[in-house]
Amino acid sequence: MYGVCGCCGALRPRYKRLVDNIFPEDSEDGLIKSNMEKLTFYALSAPEKLDRIGAYLSEKLSRDVARHRYGYVCIAMEALDQLLMACHCQSINLFVESFLKMVAKLLESEKPNLQILGTNSFVKFANIEEDTPSYHRSYDFFVSRFSEMCHSSHDDIEIRNKIRMAGIKGLQGVVRKTVNDELQANIWDPQHMDKIVPSLLYNLQHIEEAESRSPSPLQTTEKERENPAELAERCLRELLGRAAYGNIKNAIKPVLMHLDNHSLWEPKIFAVRCFKIIMFSIQPQHSHLVIQQLLGHLDANSRSAATVRAGIVEVLSEAAVIAATGSVGPTVLELFNTLLRHLRLSIDYELTGSYDSAINIGTKIIKEHEERMFQEGIIKTIGSFARTLPTYQRSEVMLFIMGKVPLPSLHHPMDPGKTGENRNRLIQIMLLKSLLQVSMGFQCNNMLTALPSSFLDPLLSPALMEDGEIRLIVLEILICLIDRHLNRRKFSSISTVPDIAVLKLKVDKCSRPDTLFMKKHSQQLYRHIYLSCNELSNVQAHYEAIYGLLVMISIELANEEVVVDLIRLVLAIQDMAISNEDNLSAYSRCALHALCAAYLNLICQLTTVPAFCQHIHEVIEMRQKDAPYLLPEDVFLEKPRWSKSVEQVEVNLLFLQSKVSEVLGGSGYNSDRLSTPYVPQLTDEDRLSKRKSIGETISLQVEVESRNSPEKEERAPAEEITFETLKKAIVDSVAVEEQERERRRQVVEKFQKAPFEEIAAHCGARATLLQSKLNQIFELTIRPPPSPSGTITAAFGQSQNHSIPVYEMKFPDLCVY
Amino acid sequence: MSMEDYDFLFKIVLIGNAGVGKTCLVRRFTQGLFPPGQGATIGVDFMIKTVEIKGEKIKLQIWDTAGQERFRSITQSYYRSANALILTYDITCEESFRCLPEWLREIEQYANNEVITVLVGNKIDLAERREVSQQRAEEFAESQNMYYLETSAKESDNVEKLFLDLACRLISEARQNALVNNVDSSLPGEGKTISYLNCCNFN
Ligand SMILES: Nc1nc2c(ncn2[C@@H]2O[C@H](COP(=O)(O)OP(=O)(O)OP(=O)(O)O)[C@@H](O)[C@H]2O)c(=O)[nH]1
Ligand SMILES: [Mg+2]
Repeated sequence: MYGVCGCCGALRPRYKRLVDNIFPEDSEDGLIKSNMEKLTFYALSAPEKLDRIGAYLSEKLSRDVARHRYGYVCIAMEALDQLLMACHCQSINLFVESFLKMVAKLLESEKPNLQILGTNSFVKFANIEEDTPSYHRSYDFFVSRFSEMCHSSHDDIEIRNKIRMAGIKGLQGVVRKTVNDELQANIWDPQHMDKIVPSLLYNLQHIEEAESRSPSPLQTTEKERENPAELAERCLRELLGRAAYGNIKNAIKPVLMHLDNHSLWEPKIFAVRCFKIIMFSIQPQHSHLVIQQLLGHLDANSRSAATVRAGIVEVLSEAAVIAATGSVGPTVLELFNTLLRHLRLSIDYELTGSYDSAINIGTKIIKEHEERMFQEGIIKTIGSFARTLPTYQRSEVMLFIMGKVPLPSLHHPMDPGKTGENRNRLIQIMLLKSLLQVSMGFQCNNMLTALPSSFLDPLLSPALMEDGEIRLIVLEILICLIDRHLNRRKFSSISTVPDIAVLKLKVDKCSRPDTLFMKKHSQQLYRHIYLSCNELSNVQAHYEAIYGLLVMISIELANEEVVVDLIRLVLAIQDMAISNEDNLSAYSRCALHALCAAYLNLICQLTTVPAFCQHIHEVIEMRQKDAPYLLPEDVFLEKPRWSKSVEQVEVNLLFLQSKVSEVLGGSGYNSDRLSTPYVPQLTDEDRLSKRKSIGETISLQVEVESRNSPEKEERAPAEEITFETLKKAIVDSVAVEEQERERRRQVVEKFQKAPFEEIAAHCGARATLLQSKLNQIFELTIRPPPSPSGTITAAFGQSQNHSIPVYEMKFPDLCVY
Repeated sequence: MSMEDYDFLFKIVLIGNAGVGKTCLVRRFTQGLFPPGQGATIGVDFMIKTVEIKGEKIKLQIWDTAGQERFRSITQSYYRSANALILTYDITCEESFRCLPEWLREIEQYANNEVITVLVGNKIDLAERREVSQQRAEEFAESQNMYYLETSAKESDNVEKLFLDLACRLISEARQNALVNNVDSSLPGEGKTISYLNCCNFN
């Protein structure tokens, strides 16, 4: 019945007859191949007729669709496909018009088979590279319809999957067709991306279901090809791989929206999976754009549930790892700033129990433990990003974070009141934990430049020593920074190993910058260790950390002088345990003794001076026999064994400074120095800090004198003022001046850079702070107030006001500035 | 010879809360049935229906969107190319009416400026459970410059009228635009030169 009206047949144009002839009597028989060849040959030899052939075929096809003659529809489409493939030439353009109309026609149908047929033809067409661009072709309908097909909810699962896969392939086709051709519809426009991306994700999302349904592993390979999720993933990867710099944003935005709308941040597995796909697919130089967008999304969600924020942060963390070096991009500090801001926000939410302390109280209930998890997430993410940074940027970030730690100094007004204190404490903890993350695995070969005073001073600030948890984090940070050969693990527990060879320590010779670093900062470190030991709230973890820090300094940063000082420091710690001026518990005192024993055991073996080793081992053996509670093996247990007998320790159970200086002096160590007891250098900051009040400082000085008094002479011989000590004093004061200069520079810088409000606020706070300090000092009426300008004057002011004339005073070497 | 099998093509998008009966309205109109146990729409659904008005073939491309919140971003992406929006609520569900301003904001944000919006109160067969009075809805529609119609997909009340009136309205808009712009066609797929013609009345 097709086109065979005999009488008019001869009058019909040749191309129409050729077209008619490809259709069989019975559509079941399929395209008549030989006639199709004739049609193709004709089309090739007369390309100007191609568009008419197309139009005529289309017309027939339309009619067949309307009359439900699907067999003929298929034949017409096959013919269109073949012509399309055969005719790569200029005139294809018009032909394509009718071709696409036919595809659209099929796609309009409700019949799944026709939809799939149309899609298949479209995909074939998409893979053809056309010679001439087409200006007015719109793919709007195709994108809309293919996206719709991706969401098919056909009752029959098999048909549903087929339609969905057709939709995905269709979208892939549109992308391939248009992506490289700027004249055509810009596929990256939001109007298209907002359809394509969610449609792919929707299918990707159901991979779990699809997987759980596949019955046996043998069938999976077959099944996988039939799986919309697999296909969607491939299509998404291809799409993202083609995205140029300017298109990333439009492609990622719908991903974020989709995850929002479908609440997919919370179990976060899918979100992480999506962003893994994204990070692995996009061109690596664009990865920082994705990170930025995620950060922006975090900002946009700053009042969303903690679980949502935690999901975003988790994704950020994973993305950072993938993007490695390129992830942070040009705005390093901005990135960390955003993360820190969210950390602070979360702490506020946690404390106030509301997203807005002013309004809406109680409208959204903040779950404290969720905020905590979010905070941990941020900290982990900070670590992930930091690990991608080169050394110089890492120390820049550490400085940046440190600068955000609230400290009761001139620069940071503290929030007053109980909640303010609590808030500050939480912020300190979280920021220091972040800092710890950044420090982990940070191997700076130049400590001097990586850790400037502007970083170390606040880190070692006494304000960060009062709280047990904070104190521990600070110690861990120091250990991480110093431990560049990953020896720390070997000293995670405190012990007196008879032979340290078993530890297989990795040690490099102390480099020149390291030596300089110690010249500049060793006293600060020693003081920090010493004062940390004297904290009543110490638990085992603290002693382990202090031990770790001592060991790390010994392994990483020690030259002869440092070794001497460390031994003096440890002996002073022993003294602290004996004299017990701060009423340490018996446990703490045992712990300090045990710590000293463990450290001296290690350092004596590192010095390899036999007589030194012998003395230490003798004492240890003696303790093993008579006082095991003074050894780490007894004290640092889950159930520590310690004894009240620590109040009266026999001399033969102690490490003797005189003995140590004698044996080491014999091996060329500076015995003068060794025999001088270590006394911590206190800064005015120490004196002004809450607990180490001026009163205590004074008593400490009195103690210095009494220690040098005749009764204790045998353990702490008075020091002669030698040329050496004077020189040392001068050198030290130069170092202090340097620190001071650095501090001034920072102040100036701060005032140059900070916005006016900040300076104004800061000055106000500074005035009140100064006022309170003055009051404190006047109350004590011991001496005139220290000038706020700095360390040196304050220190001198202090010594001048002592009743002893300066020239008569016996200066313990390191006490003098 | 025109390759088109229609004179006008219009894109109509249905929006509104989940469960108000959008899919039922579309299926009543395109397939002439009231589907029992109609499930929630996933993403978007697509239907085509060609109608004849005064001898002209009008092809209506109907995009039926999911009302569920989670599909909001993909459904919004369909507003843009719509010539008309059918904003549907359920007269037995106050909540679906109260959400209308929110929908209007979305329209404002995502649809194009010339879009024609019709407000539809569906399920009038459930008169005894009515929660939103006709007067209240009419007033609201008027204040927002929308046409208003009450329908029952179940009883087939006003469903044909809804789509046919909308088609007429779209045709006359298209003609006016064409005259103003002095171009052949301002609408995609419109396959005819324009001559002035009075169409059926829009409610
Ligand atoms: N009585 C009555 N019930 C209706 C009518 N229209 C729809 N329903 C019922 O309302 C329910 C929801 O109808 P749908 O058409 O699926 O609603 P929808 O707006 O498409 O919902 P989403 O696809 O989720 O956005 C179904 O149970 C229908 O049977 C109506 O006119 N009268
Ligand atoms: Mg629906």
